[in-house]
Amino acid sequence: MLTHVIERILQALAVMLVMSALVFVGVYAIGNPIDVLIGPDVSQDIRLDTIARYGLDKPLWEQYFTFLDRVLHGDFGRSFVFGMPVLELILSRLPATLELTLAAVLGAALVGIPAGIYAGYRPDSPLSKLIMALSILGFSVPTFWIGLVLIMTFAVELQWLPAGGRGETARLFGVEWSFLTPNGLSHLLLPALNLAFFKLALMTRLARAGTREVMLTDTVKFARAAGIPESVILRRHVLRLISIPLVTVFGLEFASTLAFAVVTETIFSWPGIGKLIIDSIQSLDRPVMVAYLMLVAFVFIMINFLVDLTYFALDPRLRKGRA
Amino acid sequence: MRTETPIARFWSEFRESRIAVAALVVVVLMIGVAVLAPLIAPQNPYDLANLVLSDARRPPGYVGSSGYTHWLGTDAQGRDLLSAILYGLRISLQMGLVAGAFAFAIGVTLGIAAAYLGGRREAFIMRVIDLQLAFPAILLALVISALLGQGKAQLIAALVAAQYAYFARTAHGAASAERGKDYVEAALSTPLPARQVIWRHILPNCLPPLIVVATVQVANAIALEATLSFLGVGLPVTEPSLGSLIANGFQYMLSGRYWISIYPGLALILLIVAINLVGDQIRDQVNPRLKR
Amino acid sequence: MTDAPLLEVRDLTTQFFTRAGVVRAVDGVSFCLRRGEVMGLVGESGSGKSVTGFSIIGLIDPPGRVASGSVKLDGRELVGLPADELRSLRGRVVSMVFQDPLMTLNPVLTIGEQIRLAIEAHRSMSAAEARRRAIAGLAQVRIPRPEATVDFYPHQLSGGMRQRVAIAIALLHRPKLIICDEPTTALDVSIQAEILAEMKELVAELGTALIWISHDLATVASIAQHVAVMRLGKIVEAGPTLDVLTRPQHAYTRALLDALPSRARPGEFLLRGGGVPDAAPPARKPAAAAAPVQGAPYFVADRVSKRFESRPRALRALGQKLGMLQPPPAVMAVDEVSLTVPRGEALGLVGESGSGKSTLGRMAAGIYAPTSGTVRLEGLPVMSEGAEPKKLTTRVQTIFQDPFASLNPRMRIGDGIAEGPLAHGLVDKSASGAYVRDWLAAVGLDPAFAERYPHQFSGGQRQRVAIARALAMQPDLVICDEPVASLDVSIQAQIINLLMRLRAELGLTLIFISHDLSVVRHLCDRVAVMYRGRIVEEGPAGEVYDNPQHDYTRRLLAAVPVLPEAAA
Repeated sequence: MLTHVIERILQALAVMLVMSALVFVGVYAIGNPIDVLIGPDVSQDIRLDTIARYGLDKPLWEQYFTFLDRVLHGDFGRSFVFGMPVLELILSRLPATLELTLAAVLGAALVGIPAGIYAGYRPDSPLSKLIMALSILGFSVPTFWIGLVLIMTFAVELQWLPAGGRGETARLFGVEWSFLTPNGLSHLLLPALNLAFFKLALMTRLARAGTREVMLTDTVKFARAAGIPESVILRRHVLRLISIPLVTVFGLEFASTLAFAVVTETIFSWPGIGKLIIDSIQSLDRPVMVAYLMLVAFVFIMINFLVDLTYFALDPRLRKGRA
Repeated sequence: MRTETPIARFWSEFRESRIAVAALVVVVLMIGVAVLAPLIAPQNPYDLANLVLSDARRPPGYVGSSGYTHWLGTDAQGRDLLSAILYGLRISLQMGLVAGAFAFAIGVTLGIAAAYLGGRREAFIMRVIDLQLAFPAILLALVISALLGQGKAQLIAALVAAQYAYFARTAHGAASAERGKDYVEAALSTPLPARQVIWRHILPNCLPPLIVVATVQVANAIALEATLSFLGVGLPVTEPSLGSLIANGFQYMLSGRYWISIYPGLALILLIVAINLVGDQIRDQVNPRLKR
Repeated sequence: MTDAPLLEVRDLTTQFFTRAGVVRAVDGVSFCLRRGEVMGLVGESGSGKSVTGFSIIGLIDPPGRVASGSVKLDGRELVGLPADELRSLRGRVVSMVFQDPLMTLNPVLTIGEQIRLAIEAHRSMSAAEARRRAIAGLAQVRIPRPEATVDFYPHQLSGGMRQRVAIAIALLHRPKLIICDEPTTALDVSIQAEILAEMKELVAELGTALIWISHDLATVASIAQHVAVMRLGKIVEAGPTLDVLTRPQHAYTRALLDALPSRARPGEFLLRGGGVPDAAPPARKPAAAAAPVQGAPYFVADRVSKRFESRPRALRALGQKLGMLQPPPAVMAVDEVSLTVPRGEALGLVGESGSGKSTLGRMAAGIYAPTSGTVRLEGLPVMSEGAEPKKLTTRVQTIFQDPFASLNPRMRIGDGIAEGPLAHGLVDKSASGAYVRDWLAAVGLDPAFAERYPHQFSGGQRQRVAIARALAMQPDLVICDEPVASLDVSIQAQIINLLMRLRAELGLTLIFISHDLSVVRHLCDRVAVMYRGRIVEEGPAGEVYDNPQHDYTRRLLAAVPVLPEAAA
């Protein structure tokens, strides 16, 4: 167990290093940021001076090591566009994305898992068929299109909810959150719904597939033969047995939702890191892109690690050998 | 009793699901319509000479200056939306299928090679694949298409890079399972040459789960392409896919000109839902744990 | 109490609605069971014996359902009872034990939790009280250290212990009837003997009635007072066990008994096995193989070992190198075993699961390379050495246990048989069709079957195909890895007869691996008994069986259930 943890940490460090090199080389091959930094009408001197100031005249590997050295000191450089430290910029945008993602993933799990278990338990009932039809739809319809429809329906036609922005925020632990104010909550609802749609379908399908398989096993038959009520079988046997794949997907989906927020944030002008990355790709704001990708890689590795640890908690077969 | 090939057996089981058969018909029809688009579309949307600016953004049913009825309306450039959708479908399908085929070939080769080779080489290949799978496909595609710029080939490269790993992992899992089965051991202990064991024994038996992944991934590729085009890093407006059509219409949505975005969106959804329904039925059929 | 039977089954009919139409899995079954009585329900696969058990307890899953008939338990009609009332009876009045304890227990709950769920199904109890009951229940089924076992997970227990846990759960509420569906089939013969003995004591002690469902006449004979023989959904014969097994009235019961190798003289064709008039196998191609090394014994495995170890990951490997970490204990599946088989002999390799007999067989067959030691046929190695060993000879071929797994489902059987001989030039392309047809005829199949796929065949037919595939490679030595273990007795008899005939006609040398001592006795000249990776006893079959020397061999032979013999 301990060697396992150490191994994973070393592995994570190696992965981060490889990622940083890949991201750096990849991002720095895009376009020429100097055109972003200065206007076209400045003198050649200022141009050269700016290039030198940002170290853009150095060979790529030297730029990389300078970058790496700075990162190790917590310095991701300054945004070309915003002119502020990238770390500060990303951290200021992160809470918006976090609350959006959490709302979406938790909502999806709380609705999707029970719906999926029901659909797997009674695969032939009309309600199950409806659930599955909806889940196919949710699974298939691109997120951005649902976003458009949501805006058109609830913001434009019905005018119930706002179409964009975060609304009012309140401060908690020194960070601004939307979900703490009624107005902010109303702003959060549509984007969270939008982002949750795909996850909801995924969780439902996964819970259903797992339940269907488990229901056919001898474990369930044996429990029935012992006279255990169906509700207990579902809660104690089935839920435990399907929890392992569910946790995996929950973890991975949480991470990928952070990334997918790109789409939702663009549509709803939600000022999170997804909106930031799209803007910086369009404006070739290299330091932001690099830092963002490193952050996503880091979050992914952390979540994978946590999922791994959860396995040990959920599956006794991994914990200890035969006594 | 006649000889019943595994494919015939599969088909007779598939036929039992009316929904899946209907979905398959829809997929085939849409592919047919896309292939025949130049013959059946009322207008060639790429031909700029056809476009009349005064016809732009007209609602469905509008009779254009050429006396032709635009049943689904026109878009911002004055293109007949029905024609644009047919051509867009063609491009979307093309992207999805070509990217899917490349991702399939690359991924399956890697996955089966890893399973067959075993040892350190297997560990290395699968490590890389797992790493990549841990990274969200959309982000990967986003960065790569930003890197390579706009264009069909670039977009396909981005889609393949985002998707081959799913094929590799599925192929590896299936091939590892098949590799341990008695019939493969029987073939190896005959002994038969490795090439023959892989091609005639392992690969054909890995196909069912791979076909399931292929349907899902083609559907995903189409959706991903649409998303990228929507975000502005996909295909150029001159040759719009369904995704770029939706993106183009987005700005007019708030002013009530819903049709520019909605109709291409419906076409896209119909296609993806149909592909996923077919994939769903195949998945149930090839899942050994649902067999009683 | 009155003499009224505990269980009265009348005209029970259970149907399954399948694509092919309605299947009557149970077709008008009637029988009675008195309190405390043990009844055996025997039959081959598809006879409806398990479905009968599930019908009684009301656990038929769709698309099946009890179509008609009546099941009266303690005077109460169970057919048509509302689901909830039926549930309240299950586990309390009637309970069930299944075949494979690995599949029935929930792998992610402790034994204690699973027992507690079964207790709470019928009465509420404090956690401490439930735990006490669980421990008492485990002690009752003779589980050592029940206070510790109650906190274990199923994977921490052996197969026999898991099945004891399942029995403990079935006994929790002192039911009047327990239905056991092949409860010892997945277990080794020595564990089976223990469970049988314990079960007998328990039901006698508790006065529980028992329905023991099995395909194995001998196990049923050793526990049941009454037996019913099922075939195609009907009971063909029923009565006191001794009568039915010694003076069978129905032709089917007689056929079942005749098919057992334990009732025949070793080396003779089994009655009812049929199949002597099969066509002769095609002629061998003249040997073009490398000349054998003069004077070498025929087949030799010299001090072979096989160690299975998981490859340590990078960090762990480093730790082991530096001496900071202990390498995990490796599993020695086969431990320095030497074996010599003379030409033309049939050697039986017997042992329980985990004894290493299959691993040894696979090394002999050139499927696994030994970790150390050599395997040679006429002085020539079976496998090459080096990091990626390859099999060098075609003269050793293998027949596998499970004919459902050993044939490629996506290949016509004719192509499967022809592909090896084609790859090694034993036959050319133009002649391969005829060659395949000749082989199919030789194993008793219609030559026209060559075009078909494996899913179109029954288990026995598939095993014939697998035999044809192995023999079409014209081997000298054939490794048979439990080739009849997954077949019904009547099919088993056919395959044994086929193997005996082909062995004589082709002058084959056999290594026959089996857990079934009676099959080995019947087929083999010599036996080697394996236990924990070593051969503990070896000798002519008759001597080893009649006069076992090693303690383990004696225990093994004593554990085999025996059929009652008719007083002649």
